Amino acid sequence: MMDIKTLSLLHNIFQEVQSKQDWKTALDTLFGSLRGSFVFDNVAIYLLDPQTKGLEVVYARAKGRGKKAEADAAWGSSTAMDVLASGETILHLPSQETKGKDRVAQAYLLGIPLNIGSKLSGALVFVRFGGPEFSDLQIQIGSLQAFWSAALIERRDLQEARTELDSVQRQMRFQDDVVSTISHELRTPLGFIKGYATSLLRQDTIWDETTQREFLNIIDEEADQLTRLIENMLESSRLQSKTLQFKFTQVRMDALVRDVATRVNSRYPELKITFDVQPLPPLHGDGFRLSQVFENLFSNAIKYAPDSEINISMRIGDGRIRITFADNGEGIPEDYLPFIFERFYRVPGERTVSGTGLGLYICRQIILAHHGNIWVESALNKGTTFYLELSIDPQL
Amino acid sequence: MAKRILIVDDEPRYLRLLEANLRTEGYEVATAKDGLQALEVFSAQPIDLVLLDVMMPGLDGFETCQRLREFSNVPIVILTARGEAQDRVRGLDLGADDYLVKPFSATELLARVRAVLRRAQPPVETSQARFFTHDDLKIDFARAEVWRGGNAISLSATEYRLLLQFAHNIGKILTSEDLLTSVWGVEYKTDKEILWVSIARLRQKLEEDAHNPRHIVTRSGLGYLMTPNEV
Repeated sequence: MMDIKTLSLLHNIFQEVQSKQDWKTALDTLFGSLRGSFVFDNVAIYLLDPQTKGLEVVYARAKGRGKKAEADAAWGSSTAMDVLASGETILHLPSQETKGKDRVAQAYLLGIPLNIGSKLSGALVFVRFGGPEFSDLQIQIGSLQAFWSAALIERRDLQEARTELDSVQRQMRFQDDVVSTISHELRTPLGFIKGYATSLLRQDTIWDETTQREFLNIIDEEADQLTRLIENMLESSRLQSKTLQFKFTQVRMDALVRDVATRVNSRYPELKITFDVQPLPPLHGDGFRLSQVFENLFSNAIKYAPDSEINISMRIGDGRIRITFADNGEGIPEDYLPFIFERFYRVPGERTVSGTGLGLYICRQIILAHHGNIWVESALNKGTTFYLELSIDPQL
Repeated sequence: MAKRILIVDDEPRYLRLLEANLRTEGYEVATAKDGLQALEVFSAQPIDLVLLDVMMPGLDGFETCQRLREFSNVPIVILTARGEAQDRVRGLDLGADDYLVKPFSATELLARVRAVLRRAQPPVETSQARFFTHDDLKIDFARAEVWRGGNAISLSATEYRLLLQFAHNIGKILTSEDLLTSVWGVEYKTDKEILWVSIARLRQKLEEDAHNPRHIVTRSGLGYLMTPNEV
């Protein structure tokens, strides 16, 4: 018969143990709270490793006299193996020749099976150095603790499985986002090509020659845009897998950036670009890839900071060329800045502006391949500045 | 008189594409590059149809559609770059009459515009009576007005045409195909989604309890009907 005192004691222990989020803390509470009626020196939990089929100590605590033997849980492993082999509770007494020796040599062991999810998965082993033997009541308390430990370990397994599932789901959502971004990006130029081509194909109307040329030019440009998008995607995956080939030659950065600016200006004549450039020595680099970096920076500025002018400065010092590329647009919220160079990252809320989230990733990978550095500073409603640093000789 | 169409798209190349094609058919064209501008242009001149892009900065296509529906029954065609069903349904739910998925061909665009404008014409009335009543519902055919319990109900052109189909076929089950063909046109025959959304919208306006309809009843697996008046 259970009296009200025992019941309320158990109730308190139950609440205390279950309230612990971490499984090891919960086990500490469990074994600590029942030590009043069940004294032991060491306790350890051995679990069967599903991969290696070997026994692994997942939890071990030493109290009082057992502290000396705390370092290794070797004292209990043979008992644990016997429990697993038989599936039953096992008592081991110290052998005769240990009599009269150090207490730590006289181990009284109690091993109890652990059934996790109704499967025999390990053993809970208690030890008392120098006795006394475990009583029937103590064996019963031990069984209760084994049953409870198994439940706590199962809870841990479920928590781990859930964390893993969450991460897989996040990964899948991310992939969905990437696919939807990419398909939207591809659909835009495709929409123009389809629309203008079918306009020209209409049999119920005749377009004048100027209009025909206008439509054909648009189709041509949008086909180029489509090619660029696909190149960007391929390139980003080559950069990701580090298989992109670089051709290093002597490059004049000031001339290179001015060339890109001239090309950008021919497409966007209203865009104002200012230069503040020191005389610079040539640099060892891949001119085509470095041009790409600046094309991407211009294209971003035009998209995200429309109507802003762009100020470019170049300085030399300590064998490094330092370039700043600044706009005075809306700026990027601080929370998003750490992520903008990540592959496929797009600032939330910018979905109305087209983009794949590849541009800055490509920029950074190209600069890193030159052993250089690129970073960003931004202030809301003031503007965004990109900083680039390149060694004149990346070998140095 | 030439119909005037308002095109709303933030991409100048779409504006140009739509405008060039619509003009060849004799339509007049007004343009707007975002939702707010669209509302301004719409208030300043008579517009017979709105072609509305979904993805726009500021006020997007869905929000613009919703705003327009607060004060106008003008036919609206949503242009969506995403072919996903949820986007199409969302547009229809907000009161759009039709949608067009990018990329689309010029002929498809013109056919949709024609179909939507055709639906917007008040139908030629063949019945002798001027009024029709069904419980608390009253239709004035001559003025294309609908009343419920003495309150005027504002229906879009498509919704009105759909209601007429039921009024003219009291007690008869109409299949989805019947309704799609006679209201939207034969090219919409299999487009059940558009019908479901429109029936739902119509019920919301006509029925006291849209989930427990008394005027337009579903006969599961068969179609819809308006049951005869209980006399």
